[in-house]
Amino acid sequence: MDSDEDIMYDDDYDDSGNESSGDDDVEFAMVEEPNNPKERQELDEYPYEVLTTEQILQHMNECMKEVNIVVEMPSTVIRMLLNHFRWDKEKLMERYYDGDPEKLFTEAHVASPFAKMAVPAKIAKKEHRRTGPSVEECEICLSTLPSSVMSGLECGHRFCVSCWAEYLTTKIMSEGIGQTISCAAHNCEILIDDATVMKLVPDAKVRLKYQHLITNSFVECNRLLRWCPSPDCSSVIRVQHVESRPVTCRCGHTFCFACGNNWHEPVRCTLLRKWIKKCDDDSETSNWIAANTKECPKCKATIEKDGGCNHMVCKNSHCKTEFCWVCLGPWEPHGTSWYNCNRYDEDEARAARDAQERSRAALQRYLFYCNRYMNHMQSLRLEHKHYATVKEKMEEMQQHNMSWIEVQFLKKAVDILCQCRQTLMYTYVFAYYLKKNNQSVIFEDNQRDLETATEKLSEYLERDITQENLVDIKQKVQDKYRYCDSRRRVLAEHVYEGYDKEWWEYND
Amino acid sequence: MANIAVQRIKRELKEVLNSDEVARCSIHVELVGESFAELKGEIAGPPDTPYEGARFQLEIKIPETYPFNPPKVRFVTKIWHPNVSSVTGAICLDILKHQWAAAMTLRTVLLSLQALLASPEPDDPQDAVVARQCKDKPQIFHLTAQHWANAYAGGPSINTDYENKIRRLKDLGVTEMNARASLSSCDWDLERATEQIFS
Repeated sequence: MDSDEDIMYDDDYDDSGNESSGDDDVEFAMVEEPNNPKERQELDEYPYEVLTTEQILQHMNECMKEVNIVVEMPSTVIRMLLNHFRWDKEKLMERYYDGDPEKLFTEAHVASPFAKMAVPAKIAKKEHRRTGPSVEECEICLSTLPSSVMSGLECGHRFCVSCWAEYLTTKIMSEGIGQTISCAAHNCEILIDDATVMKLVPDAKVRLKYQHLITNSFVECNRLLRWCPSPDCSSVIRVQHVESRPVTCRCGHTFCFACGNNWHEPVRCTLLRKWIKKCDDDSETSNWIAANTKECPKCKATIEKDGGCNHMVCKNSHCKTEFCWVCLGPWEPHGTSWYNCNRYDEDEARAARDAQERSRAALQRYLFYCNRYMNHMQSLRLEHKHYATVKEKMEEMQQHNMSWIEVQFLKKAVDILCQCRQTLMYTYVFAYYLKKNNQSVIFEDNQRDLETATEKLSEYLERDITQENLVDIKQKVQDKYRYCDSRRRVLAEHVYEGYDKEWWEYND
Repeated sequence: MANIAVQRIKRELKEVLNSDEVARCSIHVELVGESFAELKGEIAGPPDTPYEGARFQLEIKIPETYPFNPPKVRFVTKIWHPNVSSVTGAICLDILKHQWAAAMTLRTVLLSLQALLASPEPDDPQDAVVARQCKDKPQIFHLTAQHWANAYAGGPSINTDYENKIRRLKDLGVTEMNARASLSSCDWDLERATEQIFS
């Protein structure tokens, strides 16, 4: 019954109300639809699916199978190779057939599945010579043990199973490494495959964590997958192509697929990220973060320095960039001249003082926008409380001879109120970075219109529904929310049009 | 403490005590208290380095998860070396961090530290000031390291020029340790060191 464009917005709240939105909404849809043909086509076609953890595993296995059909190797080797190429099958195949597969195995730190037989035999011989036919010394616990309890990979380093278990448990549980656990021997970079890990780790809890780490790296390395960011939700959204679009998880959380933040129309992800960082900088925690951490220059992970060296290696498993802590530049050139970084520069100091003055003015400006942003965020949180009061009101109205369908307009009004608040909130982010020009003036007018209308709607829902005559208030609320909704669309369309036609110029 | 860690430390102590290096007095380890969680290490400055003839005390803390995590090692004796903090004694050495392997022992750690004394890595520094001196003014670095080894670690060579400069600052009410640190970081330029201390 709801028009198509509503589904985009309403799915998250409207679980019970969709087929029941009633005559109001039919009317509403008929009025609205012809007005917005452009937005419909723009917003509707973004197919995505929500996957459970099991489905992810299945998906991962399918990817591996596809490769396995072409290159016949054990699935664990394929998984490690795929991980090395960040799950880009084509790249893996290309490299596998183009060049030297052995070189590929070395690069990915994978024990070559073809050399399986040769190496252990050699090592075994060496061990035999040293310690007799059936005992070996484990280099970790330094105990002499029968060969039957010793284990190792194709690299030939062998340790006793209990040391292996302990080693893997430490890596998995305290260091949180799954995909890239290497052999326990010094300087041996051969990675341990999952079959071996599962065989050597006796504790089910550790194994579960390991599986989680593996799926996690699969999801994180895969551009078309993203974990639902809401707490305690373990679903994954899978899309056909990456775009900044709203997706709604099974748990009801709606977020932007491209950046993972709450859906932030009309502002774009890059600006939002900048903004969030800026806002965070003002809180206590972030003061600490700003004082003690920096971002990896490549993957933007926040890094705390816990040792004295300025030679940093990003711990993010798919990044591993080496850079200089002082200047955040690549480490490579620092090999010979790292100390350029702590040379005090007189010109820079003067520039810094000028910058301070400028930054004071900038702060004033920032506070203006931040205030309004926070204010809408706060209101949005409070509006969510309206759902409870509105529900009460709806029940009361039903006792006054109104049908269930007739009172649904109230819920719809709160839905729209929340959407408007959310959009308004992000318009301030957009406005903060916007340079003044003719279009930005139009944008600000739109913003003001929407804001005034939204406040009015909020006021109706907060106060007037308790005082006025029910029939009157219904008319008033419906008129208002339709107006709000149309203003919100106008504003968003204008911003999108601006993106297309490159009207917008940004500060910074 | 985990059984495996205690087991390992016991075996390792035995290994160190029976090793050739102990026979030559170049390394030494002993327990601190009963718990096996803390040890005291000592290494001799390697020959043909500014540290020759000096002995350096180390604090070794064994983590609960040893040998799956590296021991925490720090110089107790003050030392002038690009990879060791001249203030805290913290060490920058890959095998004490990400390059640690469970199959390494206290003996290999101490020998690696000795090797580090013999071949400093100023390109991967812990102490930026020392590292810069080591790269730009190797002569002064050598003398300074020697002087510190003499002052704190029983090294043999006395540098009367440096001693005099320290005394000049001491006469101004500066503690000996601060005087030495400032002079060292200012390449023994008395004027600059004075300025650094009193500004």
